[in-house]
Amino acid sequence: MMRSLLTLLAALTLWAAPATSQQGGPLRLEITEGVIEPMPVAVPDFVADTPAAQEFARNIARVIAADLTGTGLFREIPAEAHISRITSFESPVQFADWRAINAQAMVTGAVNVDGAGRVVVRFRIYDVFAGQELGQGQQLVGQRDGWRRIAHKVADQVYARITGEGGYFDSRVVFVSESGPKNQRAKRLAIMDYDGANIQFLTDAASIVLAPRFSPTGDRVLYTSYETGFPRIYVLDVASVGRRALPTLDGTMAFAPRFSPDGRTVLYSLTQGGNTDLYSMDIGSGASTRLTTAPSIETAPSYSPDGRQIVFESDRSGTPQLYIMSASGGEARRISFGEGRYGTPVWSPRGDLVAFTKQSKGRFHIGVMRVDGSEERLLTASFLDEGPTWAPNGRVIMFTRETQGAQGEARLYSVDITGRNLRQVATPGGASDPSWGPLQN
Amino acid sequence: MNTGQIISGAGHLALIGWALFGGAFRSDPPPFEVVEAMAISSEDYAAILAASTAPEAVANVNTPEPPAPGENAPALASEADSAPAQSQPPANPAPPPDPVPSPPEPVPAPAEVADTAPEVTPPAEDVAALVPQVSPRPQPRPAPRVAPEPVAPSEPDVRVDEVTRPEVAPDAGAVVEEAPQEATAPEEAATEIVTEAERPRDPAPTSSPRPRARPAVAAARPDPAPAPTPAPPTEAATRPAPAPAPTPAPAPTPPATDRGAVSDALAAALGQGTPTPERPAGPPLTAGEKDALRVAVQRCWNVGSLSSEALATTVVVSVPMFENGKPDTGGIRMLNHSGGSAAAAQQAYEAARRAIIRCGNDGFNLPPEKFEQWRDIEMTFNPERMRIK
Amino acid sequence: MTYLSKTMILVAGLALAACTNPNRFEDQAGAGLGGGGFGAGAGSVSDPTSPAYFQQAIGDRVLFAVDQSTLSPTAQATLDGQAGWLMTNRDFTAVIEGHADEQGTREYNLALGARRANAVQEYLVSRGVAGNRLRVVSFGKERPIEICSDESCYAKNRRAVTVLAAGLGS
Repeated sequence: MMRSLLTLLAALTLWAAPATSQQGGPLRLEITEGVIEPMPVAVPDFVADTPAAQEFARNIARVIAADLTGTGLFREIPAEAHISRITSFESPVQFADWRAINAQAMVTGAVNVDGAGRVVVRFRIYDVFAGQELGQGQQLVGQRDGWRRIAHKVADQVYARITGEGGYFDSRVVFVSESGPKNQRAKRLAIMDYDGANIQFLTDAASIVLAPRFSPTGDRVLYTSYETGFPRIYVLDVASVGRRALPTLDGTMAFAPRFSPDGRTVLYSLTQGGNTDLYSMDIGSGASTRLTTAPSIETAPSYSPDGRQIVFESDRSGTPQLYIMSASGGEARRISFGEGRYGTPVWSPRGDLVAFTKQSKGRFHIGVMRVDGSEERLLTASFLDEGPTWAPNGRVIMFTRETQGAQGEARLYSVDITGRNLRQVATPGGASDPSWGPLQN
Repeated sequence: MNTGQIISGAGHLALIGWALFGGAFRSDPPPFEVVEAMAISSEDYAAILAASTAPEAVANVNTPEPPAPGENAPALASEADSAPAQSQPPANPAPPPDPVPSPPEPVPAPAEVADTAPEVTPPAEDVAALVPQVSPRPQPRPAPRVAPEPVAPSEPDVRVDEVTRPEVAPDAGAVVEEAPQEATAPEEAATEIVTEAERPRDPAPTSSPRPRARPAVAAARPDPAPAPTPAPPTEAATRPAPAPAPTPAPAPTPPATDRGAVSDALAAALGQGTPTPERPAGPPLTAGEKDALRVAVQRCWNVGSLSSEALATTVVVSVPMFENGKPDTGGIRMLNHSGGSAAAAQQAYEAARRAIIRCGNDGFNLPPEKFEQWRDIEMTFNPERMRIK
Repeated sequence: MTYLSKTMILVAGLALAACTNPNRFEDQAGAGLGGGGFGAGAGSVSDPTSPAYFQQAIGDRVLFAVDQSTLSPTAQATLDGQAGWLMTNRDFTAVIEGHADEQGTREYNLALGARRANAVQEYLVSRGVAGNRLRVVSFGKERPIEICSDESCYAKNRRAVTVLAAGLGS
């Protein structure tokens, strides 16, 4: 029996531990087994300081709760279950009431609309069972129409305070919005909040656009467009929606661009005479440097966070596999050795992992492996998953999932790097090729 | 019909389709209009632009204005009136009213609202007992649970369900009663995370190099101890017999007597009278008793929301105990930590503290006659094994 | 949409088909993805100098095996015909479009499609067609001709299509 076995094991561990100082000193115990489950959290509606703030007070609390539960790390205790109300931001919290419903963390807040029409939000985070405030209260100020961002920022603080990891809620995603049948698919660049809100289109549907990539600061987007009839790389300024084509040789195709961590260099694939190799371009001068010269396909490059290495996909071994080389080119070492085909590697913001697409036995997976290729772990499986992108904190991956058949449609999904919490990202229609931007300032 | 005609026909259809949808006729709404419907009045659009071009709008940091306690006295939550003053047109893309010089990382600069944390409320113990006693699990839980044991134990969660459900007899009809929930049980308590890619029911099992031999058995969760009594049973009490542990109170064992004898002798030797009646230390806890305590704590030790760094941090926590088996929550503190930064240790400690307080809420099942043995407990929380789940 | 407007669009579509339209993606028989493709109205199949003859009688496309860019004997025969036609009708240039089926990542399939288009280009050049009359482009898996997710469709999607364009002199 698994259970008794575990107990036995635990008992053994206990004995082995140097905990036998029964005489005098404290009783010593070692706890090595815990549970992994969403933490119950209460986010009662914020207190409206003025009638004008009432709607914000409710909506902001809802967005915070949605952000937190969306991580899979938290579970909201619904308002109907609350046995105590927060009617004043300053009054002491009746912790017992919240303990009684097993709220382990709680967020309270107050919203005001100030004389200038700005939304002013104050909030506090509590550890309910310890009866303590976590950190100190904070205040955020923003425009009325920026209330969602304020809510995301509060949620980021809560997330960071409880998990010890940076949040990712106040961030945006650039992606390809899709419509129409498979053989006539219209594609437009679009940008949205990470949760699908505030969609804004950046291009029209006149030409095919592919694989947009955010700059490290989120101010620009690289993408591939067939505007001229041939794939070329464009850089688009998000604020002005102005764009320009990067210089390229006539008769070639350029695609799969990605920014360097400092935002000054673009890595990309260039196809000439049927052969696809990797190049880097100084985005200021437009001067390109060739990084690979093999007759095989080299594509989908991605920089390490320090900008010194490149992970990419190559079929030099006969099937597409992942390789790492210096940012200046040269010898590459293979890091993928599992069964199947590997593609679209993306270096994690923390630098320790590479996310990738894997094709094996007729299915597609999103997976992660360590930079040396060890500890490969597949997180998803479906007819077609591809194109992972990392959340700014390196804890979540978003990707494209396309369904099978004539009616097949692409949608965005996200998954925790542990493989938990797979969920679809809300988009109004088809969507593919997400690129997750940085936390906003 | 020859191939050419078919192709031709298909081509024409495609052409027509294109003409319809591809934008040849601008007057014809293209299908992705759907999207635009959900978006955005022109003002909103301007507002979005404003928001995106002026990030400091939100980031305008917290001017530290410590809210005087009475300041927001009119904190009325009653005005049914909502959303007034939309008269003001949304901010135009021009810089926001007060051009705060946009500090590099404006947000966090944690201006404290007030440093005095509201005072601590009375201990929860008494209150918890008053709470409407647990209804069976409400809705299936949205997210998976990973627990050391395949059968998820009942938690000390006290959940209030909107729907009052009839109590179910502990063993009898429970299974039938909860059938719909059982269906989701497998997701709930596996011994480790099972990713989509690893799910055994996949038609084409994919081989991942990572050996994952253990079938992720998950278990139907037995009805959480329906406890008809108002007082929630303690964790250890409801737990189905942790180990073949010896029953609580072994008769005073030799060591204790010896110890007593020694101290008597000592006292005598020191020429004192009878020592002040000291509480008996009792014999050391048996392995079973310690194990029960350990299991009780680990059941509440939720590491799911910890950063990977916190998951690599071992913390040692000192827990002073009351004689009734409850931890002195105010006295819990971190003794030391290893493996991670101080910040990570803080989160790890907080998770440990929550475990102790939550599961100790009703008192741990510890033998009272051995109080001296457990009045101070040092618990080492080592998440190493949880990291790989 | 009313019947009338459908009819109007049909008529307009047919009219359009007779023109070259630089922004068209798909018209006759999958041709014209690149730009400057000729539609159904470009001559009659029975006229051996017409683009329609090239597309239908000779065959404007060749198919490939999974992951491959090598030309089968059937493909070579088709390309021999294409080369012959291009040699006789020197007013035309062509864009060779490479495609892949949906089994593969977007990036890899772009590169794979380019290999296929290039294989066709090299073959045509080897048969005497001037290199400067041929351009290549890859659409990867972006423009399947068949939309099911079976090998029957995939086989038709792994293709390279020679799309005629108005020539040097016209």
